[in-house]
Amino acid sequence: MSFSRKMAWRNYVVEGLLILASLLIILPLLIMLFGSFMTSAEVLKFSLRLPEKWNFSNYTTVFREGGLGRAFLNGMLITGVSSILNIFTSSAASFILVRRETKWSNFLYMFFFMGLIAPMSTITTIRVVQWMGFYGSITSVILIYASLNTAFSVFLYSGFIRSIPKALDEVAFLEGANTFDVFFKIVTPLIVPVNATVAIMVFMSVWNDITIPLYFLTDSSDWTMPLSVYNFYGKYSRDWNLIFADLVLTSLPVLILYIFCQKYIVSGLTAGAVKG
Amino acid sequence: MKVSKRLYSYYLIWPALLIYSVFFVLPALTGLFYSFTDWRLDRENIQFIGWDNFERIFTDRTLLLAIKNTAIFAVVTVIGKNLLGIALAVGLNMKLKSKNLLRAIFYSPSILSVLVISIVFTPMLRSDGTINRIFEAVGLPSLSQAWLTNPALVIWTVAFVSIWQHTGFQMAIYLAGLQSISKEYYEAATIDGAGSWRSFRSITIPLLLPAININLMLTLIGGLKVFSEVFVLTGGGPGNASQVVGTIILRSFGEGSWGLGTAVNTLLFAAVTIIAIPLLIFMRRKEVSE
Repeated sequence: MSFSRKMAWRNYVVEGLLILASLLIILPLLIMLFGSFMTSAEVLKFSLRLPEKWNFSNYTTVFREGGLGRAFLNGMLITGVSSILNIFTSSAASFILVRRETKWSNFLYMFFFMGLIAPMSTITTIRVVQWMGFYGSITSVILIYASLNTAFSVFLYSGFIRSIPKALDEVAFLEGANTFDVFFKIVTPLIVPVNATVAIMVFMSVWNDITIPLYFLTDSSDWTMPLSVYNFYGKYSRDWNLIFADLVLTSLPVLILYIFCQKYIVSGLTAGAVKG
Repeated sequence: MKVSKRLYSYYLIWPALLIYSVFFVLPALTGLFYSFTDWRLDRENIQFIGWDNFERIFTDRTLLLAIKNTAIFAVVTVIGKNLLGIALAVGLNMKLKSKNLLRAIFYSPSILSVLVISIVFTPMLRSDGTINRIFEAVGLPSLSQAWLTNPALVIWTVAFVSIWQHTGFQMAIYLAGLQSISKEYYEAATIDGAGSWRSFRSITIPLLLPAININLMLTLIGGLKVFSEVFVLTGGGPGNASQVVGTIILRSFGEGSWGLGTAVNTLLFAAVTIIAIPLLIFMRRKEVSE
């Protein structure tokens, strides 16, 4: 009895400490959220308080002056196409790498795996894209994101495809199917949950990124939301209410994705934690 | 019945291999070559200049400072994100009423853009900002600092913001690791009279090793590649006090000294590889012995 009471006490203490710590996380986010509805004078205190009046007009102002509609569509195009491209190419490659089990396929696996470690060489990537004649275009950014995420996706897919029994493929091969049939008709339906995980992980990292657009999108009409926000932040550095509204709008897509797709994010993290 | 390996046609590898090789591996290899040249914006003929770029990196004060700052940032964030990450995960793995809500709160900053968090923290870290005002309100004015304008302090401030944002991500990986540990081990340990610290050291830590390894790798590599936090919070300033390798590469690119920029990148590549490869080999060995 006294033992379980001691346990209960300990749980209360831990819970209290964690709730206090969580306030440290919530406060800055609430300052941003409440501030985005304030007037430009009211927001300058940067302290936690509800706005005197909820100015929804801040949001329409940023939308009009920050060019956010365009930036939103650019971001959707870049994140959407690069994640679909990445899902298709990485899952197909992982399927062969896992099933072949030869020296050559092991070498290729390590070759892809290096991409998880090595930093990208930005300046020479620009050079390569210039040689190919599409520096500054959205296409170049899509292909770069697809290549940057290949290593992570191959790693995730390989772990999962290894757990699909090979006997399934063997039966199909004996009935005269070829590699493409087996991949599209047998493996692809089984890896739908992994596709969702990869899509969400790629979407989040690409949507939030500013480095690649900064180097590769030379024309402001091609910018994604974070880069437009950064530009807006430089121009309107007095109007913190508008800056906060801008930041909230940029965060909305990933927040919505997080709320509805938590399950897939957790399974991606679990793969990392358990398989190492 | 064994199916021939040749039935798995290499055709399906080609698209991934092509995109990855052209846009990631080829630039890495040409970068290796260009870091030994005087490649510049205003130069027609590129000349091979041996180790000159690297000599310059190790004699230029700003570049040396950038390397030092990168190392400080990496070490501080690795320690902070992992110690706090484990602590949060262990706490939130207990039977708490609010654990699901708390997990979501701690994880939430890590899904937002580094740009968003860095801009939100900028006014709070000013001399008259929220953080200093809180210190004054609770009677600890001696703790208020010029967080972003004191050259000796600024890289630590940037590291703090990164720890604030990303510890929840590490926590989530540790939680997944903890949940894969069977409760029976702890029950057996309790029956044998082991206290909670003893259980933590002898059961939790060893069985959490895969998660610890992956987190150390992720935070270390991410720390060495730091760019966005510094770029948005300080732009490398005041002066050059918070320059890191990532911002130096952007500056070299802007100035048109591309040979020097790629040399800095090559150095980063070498550092990451030298640190990460032994860690990887170590991880593989651990896995086998388990």
